[in-house]
Parts: sequence; C-alpha cells; structure tokens
Amino acid sequence: MDHHHHLLCNTHVKLLAFDLLSLTQIPSDPISFSRHGTLLSRAETLGLVTSLDLKPGKFLKFVVDDGTGCVDCVLWLNHLTSPYFARRSPSDVRQIAASSNHFASELKLGAVARVRGRITKYRGVVQITVSDVVVERDPNAEILHWLDCVRLARKRYDVLQSE
Amino acid sequence: MASSAIKSGALVSLQDLHPSSHYFRQGTSLRVTGKLQEYSAQTAIAMVVDGSAKLKVNTEHLRNLNLKLGSFYQFIGELLIQPDNEAVLQARVGRNVDGINLDLYHQSLQLLRQFQADHLKNPTT
Repeated sequence: MDHHHHLLCNTHVKLLAFDLLSLTQIPSDPISFSRHGTLLSRAETLGLVTSLDLKPGKFLKFVVDDGTGCVDCVLWLNHLTSPYFARRSPSDVRQIAASSNHFASELKLGAVARVRGRITKYRGVVQITVSDVVVERDPNAEILHWLDCVRLARKRYDVLQSE
Repeated sequence: MASSAIKSGALVSLQDLHPSSHYFRQGTSLRVTGKLQEYSAQTAIAMVVDGSAKLKVNTEHLRNLNLKLGSFYQFIGELLIQPDNEAVLQARVGRNVDGINLDLYHQSLQLLRQFQADHLKNPTT
C-alpha cells in the first residue's frame, strides 16, 4: 500500500539546496522523490552560479549555490539531434531548442539563477534536469527565495507529513 | 549528502568572521557580503566592510567583475589564513549587490540557520 502524499507531485516545490539534496528516490518509481513521505518530482532552486561546463550541442552542466548547498543542474541542448525528440512536432522541438540555447547564453558565473525542472539523480546525487531558467537582477531575490522556502516548508510541505 | 566537487560557500556576516569563530579556518568555503572600501588593481586585493568588520578579498580570478569603491559586493571563495593570522578570502565568484537590504539579509540569515538546525534535528526520510 502506498502511504505517500501525492498532492505536490506536479508542483515545482521551492526547496533549499540542503533539503533538496536529502530527498530519497523511490525505488519502485524512480521519477518520484520522497520528502517526509510527500512525493515530489519537480523543484525550484535559486542561487549563485558557481560552475559552468558547456558541451555545445549536447548540454550545459552548472552548479547553483544557495548558501545551504550546491545543486547540480543539467540543461540539455541536444534537442535537434536526439532521437528522444524525433516523434515530436519539429516546430515544437525547434522552440524548445531555442529556449534552451537562450537559457544557456544567460547563465554566467556569479549570476543569480532561478532554476526549475525535474528532480533526477545522477551518480548517487540529486540534481535538477532543467526546464527553465530566469536570471534574477534584483539583489534581494535570493533573500526572498530563502524566506519563501522556509515559509512553504513550515506552513505547507511539512504539514502534509502529519496529515 | 555530497553534491558536486564545488563546495558551497557558507553564508557568514563579516561580524561573525573573527578568529574564534568556527568559520575562521584555513580553506573554509564562505560567502561574504560587504561594501568595497579599498581596491588595488595592481594586486587585485579588495577590502570589504560591513559596519566595523572588514575582510581582505583576493579578486585575481574575477577580472571580469567591475569593482567600484562604495558599491556592495558578494564573494564566494576559500579563506586563506596568513602566518600573521590575517584572513584573505580567495574569491572564485563575485557579484555586485547594490540595492541589497542588508538588515533584511542579516535577519533572514538567522531564520535560515534556525530552519536548517531544526531540519537537521528531524531529517527527511
């Protein structure tokens, strides 16, 4: 019997890095991760970009440091050559590829990035497979993200576990 | 749980970075915030201040960052403690944070630390 809560399954949950990195992958359902018994599949993180590793036409791997930990992020850039996208509409694929290339061009060392995507695991470490990126210009954006994460965890995410 | 090889810079206010602090250790990865008071283009050594607290920052790896006296900056790097016990942050990342609300930053940092401490007592399962 499944005792997990599914209410946040399709939500981009705002998590601090230390919280995100301690999620547990569900062996029977590897696209799901458990946080105190609540199933998650998507997350939002925000912090300073401290590392960039670009393989043109393949991927951009980068690291976001929010002060509580470092989140590895992978932004795929292989949409036009990957067989994974072959069955999708060519115009959709071109649009996704253009967005991803735009995100990649915006990311710079020291930029503050708000990153959303699927929670995945690579070589034993939780990471984010990126679906969108916003580079924040407001110097207080990160502070507000911390407060959002703390408030949402206390008022929403942690409450589900006790229900 | 360990992430990539890149270490997270622990959030620390300059006031908390004194020789008896647990942050004041050789090689510790830190993130500091302060106003640029001095800068030498020749040595790439900057001095950032927050109130009466100050810290030297080596910015030699941040040549693309435009440093202006009186502006606010945030740096992530590793602490190098010199033989005379003076600390210099070897910055690897930096950004201008003009417009940051430092009072809100310090208060939020306290809340963040409290939340993290509470969470570590009751880890996610």
